[in-house]
Amino acid sequence: MGVAIRDLLADYKTTVEWNSLGGIGAIDAHNALYQFLSIIRQPDGTPLMDREGRVTSHLSGIFFRTINFLEKGIRPVFIFDGPPPEFKAETVRERRETRRVAGELWIKALKEGDTEEAYRQARSSSRVDAQIIGSAKELLRLMKIPFVDAPSEGEAQAASMARNGVVSYAVSQDYDALLFGAPVLVRNLTVSSRRKVRGRTIVVRPERIILRDVLEGHSLSREDLIKIGILIGTDFNPGIRGVGAKTALKIVRQDRFLETIREKSPDFDFEPVLQFFLEPPNTSSYSLQWGDPNPDEILAFLCETYDFAEERIQTALDKIVQRGGQRTLDQWF
Amino acid sequence: MLKAAIDADIFRETIDVISALVTECRLQVSDAGIQTRAVDTANVAMVSIEVRPEAFTSFTATTQELGMDIAKMKNIIAMMNKGDLLSLDLPEDGHKLALTFRGYKYSITLLDVNTIRKEPNMPNLDLPGRIILSGNALNSAIKAASVISDKIALGIDPTAGIFYMEAEGDTDQIRLEMGKDELESLSMTEARSLFSLDYLKDMGKVMSRATQVEVLLGNDHPVKFLFDIADGKGHVEYLLAPRIEAD
Repeated sequence: MGVAIRDLLADYKTTVEWNSLGGIGAIDAHNALYQFLSIIRQPDGTPLMDREGRVTSHLSGIFFRTINFLEKGIRPVFIFDGPPPEFKAETVRERRETRRVAGELWIKALKEGDTEEAYRQARSSSRVDAQIIGSAKELLRLMKIPFVDAPSEGEAQAASMARNGVVSYAVSQDYDALLFGAPVLVRNLTVSSRRKVRGRTIVVRPERIILRDVLEGHSLSREDLIKIGILIGTDFNPGIRGVGAKTALKIVRQDRFLETIREKSPDFDFEPVLQFFLEPPNTSSYSLQWGDPNPDEILAFLCETYDFAEERIQTALDKIVQRGGQRTLDQWF
Repeated sequence: MLKAAIDADIFRETIDVISALVTECRLQVSDAGIQTRAVDTANVAMVSIEVRPEAFTSFTATTQELGMDIAKMKNIIAMMNKGDLLSLDLPEDGHKLALTFRGYKYSITLLDVNTIRKEPNMPNLDLPGRIILSGNALNSAIKAASVISDKIALGIDPTAGIFYMEAEGDTDQIRLEMGKDELESLSMTEARSLFSLDYLKDMGKVMSRATQVEVLLGNDHPVKFLFDIADGKGHVEYLLAPRIEAD
């Protein structure tokens, strides 16, 4: 998922404190939902579900993360993906297949009693479908948190909003937003600072990447960075076999991009992908308004419709509703 | 480019005004002086300040936007003495601001402005109530209320011809009324809004130094405080969103 330019970013990631992140964050909704669906699971891989067997992992994730944002002075706006561009079809097909296989392996592992394998396969089978997106939007509506339907990729829309100064930064675990031109990308905005990576627990803290620092540091233009992405592989093209971030950097620096593509992947027309990153489809028809959430409506939705434990939801709601006595200036702008 | 000298006290006043609400800001520098507008992280209060070149002993600048770490500035100011003359020096396209006083020379790295929230627009507000009083009286009232509560109501009662402030704690109450005689000016327009003392305490401390504070008030609307700094060569506007009045 996303473009693997991490190796080029190591020197440009700054760990930041939550309290320095006050402002508006454009959240890559698909990325967040996928994260919730893959992480919020029981040890055998079973996601959170209500009595009727509907998955609710994502609702838990959105609810608690949003409350955490509001508490920390971050006003989130969730950006949902629109229809993918044509040239993403291959990636979409591959992912669907991966999920399908993982789903089968999960069931197999469960039968064999291999919990660890079951958990791993269950995570890979996570799927953001219409029901997930619909219920996520409904919860956001009740929490009075704005969301935007992107005309195409959500990260592209988030990046364009950040470029226009409408939001302070883009929030995603993937780095694509940088290729789309987001001046600032923030990662690891999770409620819990602990994350399990291959069985070990590590501490994660919010990190900020400033596009200009990355470009200046490597003496690159954004177009160069996109070309590096294309060589490694993006959501829209498989990349050149055997080319990683460092090799790609060298190729672009030596101005051998065109030559490399022609030689190694002569049938690949990179131009549409390059253009898509440079000038991605985006919309400016949205309204960003944060209102006072109605606790009763949220309780009814989460606890009555989706069987969440009332006490947990109420405790979390108290955090924002107590402050809710305080209005913000938003409604007067 | 910025090359200026300023009395340390005036600089302290300026930074205090900003630091009451934010820890960093985008400072607009031009031949018209310095100016900034910023909203606190929770989006509850706004500060807008301008300091004209006359407030400085000397001032030359080209138009630019500087990312200022206000929290750091505040710590540096603590090192200055009354009467010190502070020189500010930023070369063309420089990223480090030099602050020199009493032989000390701090070289301070500016923040990347892209990491700081954009300056907000000034909201259009209809605030019919208008009171002018001394900053000291205003600050005293804020302090008096904070002894028993965390919120205070500010209001005008046109029938009684008074400006009032009242606060309620769990068990206690305080009310202060000021008539025309005790105020510089009072409009006879009904108004009342409730505000958080957390914010007002920090703002009040800053405003206590102003001889006059103009208070603009509405019904369940933000309050605006306007006052001068730097002997009238600088001007400040504070805006604070109200709290919801619970019955």
